[in-house]
Amino acid sequence: MIDTQRNNYDKYMMLATMPLIFCGVVLHGPRVLLICLNAMITARAVDVLVSMLQHTDLDTKDNSSVQSAIIFCLLMPVNIPFYAITVTVALVVLIGKYVFGGKGVYPFNLAALATCVACVNWPNKVYNAVVPFADVNLWTGETTSVVMSNAAIIKEGGVPGYSLANMLLGNYPGVMGADFILVIAAIGIFMIYKKLITWHAPVTFLLTTAVIAFIFPRIYGFSRVASVEMELLNGSVLYSALFMLNEPTTTPKTRRGKVAFGFLVASLGMLFRYRGNVEFGISFALLFVNAIEGYIDRVVNMDWVSDFGKNSIEYFKSLNNKTEKIEEKAIETSEAMELIGEVEDNIDDVIYSTRTFDVREILRLEEENNHKKGGRKNEK
Amino acid sequence: MKNKDFSYLYQNWDDTVRRRKVFLSNPVFIKGLALAPLTIAATTLDNGIILSIAVFLLLTPTRIITSLITRKMSVPFKTFFYPFVSAIIFAFVYYYMYRVMGSKVMVLGVYLPILVVDPIIVKNFEKTRKESVLYSIINGLRNTAGFIVACILISATREFLGLGTIYGIQIIKAPLLPMAQNSFGGFLIIALYCALWSNMVAKYKYKVEVEARHNERISKIDD
Amino acid sequence: MSELVRLMIKYFGLALVAIGSQNAIFTRGLGLSSGIRMLNDPRKNTFYFCGALTVFQILTIIIVHFSIPLMDMIGNGEYRRFIMPTGIVIACMISYLIVILSLSKFLTENKFKEILKSVTSASITSTIIGTVILTNSQGLTLGESIAFGFGSSIGYFLAMLLISEGNRKICHEKVPEPFRGLPITLIYISILALAIYGLTGHAIAL
Repeated sequence: MIDTQRNNYDKYMMLATMPLIFCGVVLHGPRVLLICLNAMITARAVDVLVSMLQHTDLDTKDNSSVQSAIIFCLLMPVNIPFYAITVTVALVVLIGKYVFGGKGVYPFNLAALATCVACVNWPNKVYNAVVPFADVNLWTGETTSVVMSNAAIIKEGGVPGYSLANMLLGNYPGVMGADFILVIAAIGIFMIYKKLITWHAPVTFLLTTAVIAFIFPRIYGFSRVASVEMELLNGSVLYSALFMLNEPTTTPKTRRGKVAFGFLVASLGMLFRYRGNVEFGISFALLFVNAIEGYIDRVVNMDWVSDFGKNSIEYFKSLNNKTEKIEEKAIETSEAMELIGEVEDNIDDVIYSTRTFDVREILRLEEENNHKKGGRKNEK
Repeated sequence: MKNKDFSYLYQNWDDTVRRRKVFLSNPVFIKGLALAPLTIAATTLDNGIILSIAVFLLLTPTRIITSLITRKMSVPFKTFFYPFVSAIIFAFVYYYMYRVMGSKVMVLGVYLPILVVDPIIVKNFEKTRKESVLYSIINGLRNTAGFIVACILISATREFLGLGTIYGIQIIKAPLLPMAQNSFGGFLIIALYCALWSNMVAKYKYKVEVEARHNERISKIDD
Repeated sequence: MSELVRLMIKYFGLALVAIGSQNAIFTRGLGLSSGIRMLNDPRKNTFYFCGALTVFQILTIIIVHFSIPLMDMIGNGEYRRFIMPTGIVIACMISYLIVILSLSKFLTENKFKEILKSVTSASITSTIIGTVILTNSQGLTLGESIAFGFGSSIGYFLAMLLISEGNRKICHEKVPEPFRGLPITLIYISILALAIYGLTGHAIAL
């Protein structure tokens, strides 16, 4: 059931990005399509390579690598070099997905990870905004129409000088596919209606972002409502809410967990956008909150009054039991000290070696040996 | 390698692992020691060489002096005795390196002084057994060799990927992975080396096991 | 009063910087080997270890601050950077004695034995030495150093919690065999360090 849900999610997410790719091609030219194809082919090539190395058949239903690659691409400007996309996608699919175990078990959102990797490796290529309908070289990406992005302008305390209509249609200097607000909103409503994603995380995320922007506006000389408008319509906020906060593998499984998740990503994301030195603060915040996703699920669904008390007592009791058993062994005879010395040698030498040792198992075996020796002496 | 050698290796695998500190139980790649300076400070081959020299001058003398003293008398607060000896030796080592290399040594910042308490230098303080002076020298040199191999590999890789140079000599124009110069790049590169190393060790162990079993069968047939 | 409030805000800010953007593990890698070994050692307890680390950090900072004039007596301060590690080790020993004597008076024998192993391991780590040298080299006052040291220990504790949560989350049986154990933990830490980079956005000074 979960596999089917996961496969459906990947398939429909890929389909959902098609309108955005189309809009990107219209505004920024056919290079958008080339970059997306480059990313898709790289992701699939890594999938094939890993299946060959592991001597398994390629899982054709697993589209998580390709889907993440496209989502990442649409956050990049059209003049990003091909090698940056190739290296980032290959690294993220290998390290972010397969090293952690592959489909369905990786802990970090792959698109967010790819965005962060690209931002830190090539910041002068990523933090660009290309003017729509500009002349961009198809193969090298060279263009003379590069300006400051809206997110950078807002960070300086300024206000982007584009009309609301242009901002809703994505007709302003920006990235390839994450700026078409109306199209993204329509896709989001469709997916929530078809129950392909849930509304809890994205809506909480957007509400929290709006509240923070209202209480702590960054732009000067304008109303708080204008601040909320600017924060929500820029920096790929809506795109991140829809395409990154619903991935089934890396987000909480319960409703309450998803609400808490959305709230945390928004809070941290705004902190990173306000205080950090990077423009894609939400991607960095998402990686951080992915790390505590399981913890969020456990905490928000706990019955605080009885569970917390019970859990704490049981936890401390188990600690006491563990140390009592170890203390019994740590007696003051020279034989026991030798035993501890041997055990410590084993722990120190093999704690990260190709073999694994269990301290309790070693102590138990040694105790059995000692009992047997003691038994034989008694027999004599 | 002779047939007898494989059988001997397999039968005494634990001792073999303990002795072969460069490959089989490398202090960095297998045991995870000295990760702080390698992750943050070993960003260029130059820094790697300075770290290697510091560990070479610090590790073995610390082990020799501590083993000499602990054999003669029972030392209270072993937890502090080893770092204390290491810190005194470090003062002289640091001063000597500063006189010879100048301000290059200062580039490493806080990551040279913290070697004083790094587990690679003072790992033994948690043990209850005493070791002989000869064993300290041999073990110290083995650990040093293992660390130097790891340090050179990691720092050279990070410089090449992050800057496109090796020891300042430009190899490629555009660096392949600039993030190799940051802490997260360091963690990643060390992790990849650890995985590669443990894979090589596992393959070697498998080879030894197969050869030893093959020799055992042959010797039974001969009998 | 306003001066006091201003100072408190300043110290709070320094502590936050030490927890977040200059995190002991993710940004500076201090205490990483000890921390990973502690997580995998069933004889040690994370809470006791990190609690003890905080106390030792603050005590060591205070002792070193007042012993700097003694260190400067040798060569008029020229050799301070060379003998600082020795001074810090002695300060760690003094703070360990203070803590152990206090704990032995206030705790029962069993409880004391239970926490002794964790407390002893935390008494002298690269986190303590690194933080003391950093505060000294940045010329922070005593109050600022204590705030930074406190934040550094709390940041270490939070980092350990994140790493142990990651160990719990990772499906170890599906991780490829060469990556099991230390490599996958380091990769997890590298991704978290990348996330923290979003706050700093630049490389730190060593």
